Amino acid sequence: MKPPADWVFRAFDQCLLRSASILVPGQQRTEWQQEWKAELWHVRRACAPAGRISLQVEQEITAFCLGAFQDAFYLRLGSRKRGVRLAQIHGSAWQCLFWLAAVLTASYTVANISAGVRAERHPEHYRVKSNLILIQDAHDTSDWAATIPVERYRAWKRLHQQYFDDFAFYRIQQETLSAGGNGGVVRAVGHVSANLFALLGLQVESRNAGDTAGGTERRLILSHEGWERDFGSNPHLIGSIIRVGEHQVRVVGIAPDGAWRLPGQADAWILEPDATIAPGAAGYVVAHMTPSARSEMWNGRVHITVYDTDGSDEDFWGISFAERTQGPWGIYLFTVMLSFLALPALTSVSIADYSFSSHKPSWTRDVIRWAFLSGKIIFLLTITYFLSLDLTYFSSIAYSPGASGVQFIVSFFICLFGLRWVVLDQRQRCPVCLRRVTHPARVGIASRTFLAWNGTELMCTGGHTLLHVPGLPTSWFGTPRWVYLDPSWKFLFAE
Amino acid sequence: MASEAKLSHTAAMILQAIDAGFVYGFSIMEMTGLPSGTVYPAMRRLESDDLIRSQWERQSIADAEQRPARKYYKLTATGRLTLETSRKRYPLLERMIPSEETKSI
Repeated sequence: MKPPADWVFRAFDQCLLRSASILVPGQQRTEWQQEWKAELWHVRRACAPAGRISLQVEQEITAFCLGAFQDAFYLRLGSRKRGVRLAQIHGSAWQCLFWLAAVLTASYTVANISAGVRAERHPEHYRVKSNLILIQDAHDTSDWAATIPVERYRAWKRLHQQYFDDFAFYRIQQETLSAGGNGGVVRAVGHVSANLFALLGLQVESRNAGDTAGGTERRLILSHEGWERDFGSNPHLIGSIIRVGEHQVRVVGIAPDGAWRLPGQADAWILEPDATIAPGAAGYVVAHMTPSARSEMWNGRVHITVYDTDGSDEDFWGISFAERTQGPWGIYLFTVMLSFLALPALTSVSIADYSFSSHKPSWTRDVIRWAFLSGKIIFLLTITYFLSLDLTYFSSIAYSPGASGVQFIVSFFICLFGLRWVVLDQRQRCPVCLRRVTHPARVGIASRTFLAWNGTELMCTGGHTLLHVPGLPTSWFGTPRWVYLDPSWKFLFAE
Repeated sequence: MASEAKLSHTAAMILQAIDAGFVYGFSIMEMTGLPSGTVYPAMRRLESDDLIRSQWERQSIADAEQRPARKYYKLTATGRLTLETSRKRYPLLERMIPSEETKSI
């Protein structure tokens, strides 16, 4: 009786063959399976006579079965011509460019699918008006903390201002949001001045706003994410009344993805007259500066001193939104520049320190070589842009200050290590056909370095060149050296 | 002409093994030391180049020996010519895999 392990191994091998057979064209599949099963039967009988089981034998049998995938793949390709073409493209420049294009296509597709990346790539949806600042208490170290009470905001708005021509206030708090029969969910709701969205210049989808403007209820703008998540993207939601906390509010619009670029994330915003905003926790104040105040701004900030009627004064910072919402393009360009500067610290940037011992490629080959290098760099830089956006903003629709830092780090490392790969890859490509050299072989021994060279020899599969890489650089053999193979070597390389 | 086509050393080894009497995939693997992932695709290519021909053995023979029927390969006339050319190019081929006639000598 056969042990249970034997059945497991047999089932595994059959499973491998069956999986490989999926690759085989339908009309050849039955015969192909028949041949491989017969061969497997003989392999098992030869390797494990009398049902003897050992891990080493099973590894050999599994290795035999894995070869079925190559056989099936060959049949899938169909003809001899295509098989030869496969051998020719293996490690070739075209294959390299193909894979780079595939990665670029994938990252570009993800960038178009992800709402977060779309919002970052199309800043026109969230670009705020110029000369807008966020006023923060100077004693608070965090730029993103709510520091201004609504009473102070009202006082500023009442007084005639020399440097500011409009203000708006908002505050974020957790409230229960419910519509129709559902029980309600706790969401972050912003209580904002009625003029805030107009002041920011945000475009809010509001098809029925005109029809509903005369209602007595407070008006509510939903975030795009909240509209999708809590209301199932209901196209008829605008104009309907929902409940937020204790109040009935009328939905008048839906903000586009990523439109909200201010501190504090919210799922909805209730537009309120300044007088009705309840006193309570501190909020944020947005101010629009007059053109004359713009000259006071330095490095995106302006220092503001407020004198109270009792003679005391308080300090505030005005922080420009233009600085906060510069978008991903500037970060990307900066990281690309930084990567080019940092590259020499990782690897030698020279790709011309390879001397031919007996042959010099033609100038057209050199042009093709440089064009290939340029193509790889262009692909890499484009991939870096889309991939860094994908990794930073794929799961996050809302804007956050940390996202810029994440994009910076991701973009920098992709670009830096990508450039390192480009340079190293270029150095290992045959100058004649641009195939990657392969089949590394150790030559010589280290103790005889001064008598004969020792290192690694790599071969171009097209039969054009050998690359000798010294194991221990010496004064007479310090850099890798290309050895040109003349036509007498051709017979070793099959067409 | 196919007989003048240059064969890789691997393909020449497989032709030589078939000529030497190793007529199915696993025996060729054992003789040449090549893995299955190389031998079987190479044989497909040799067959499509009309250098070898395959034939299933009779089911009655396999049944009598209580084993599955297997597929045998043999050289075609073109394959013999190509092998002769390859032997000149790779002189060690016959010493690595002696053919039946060589063994009898």
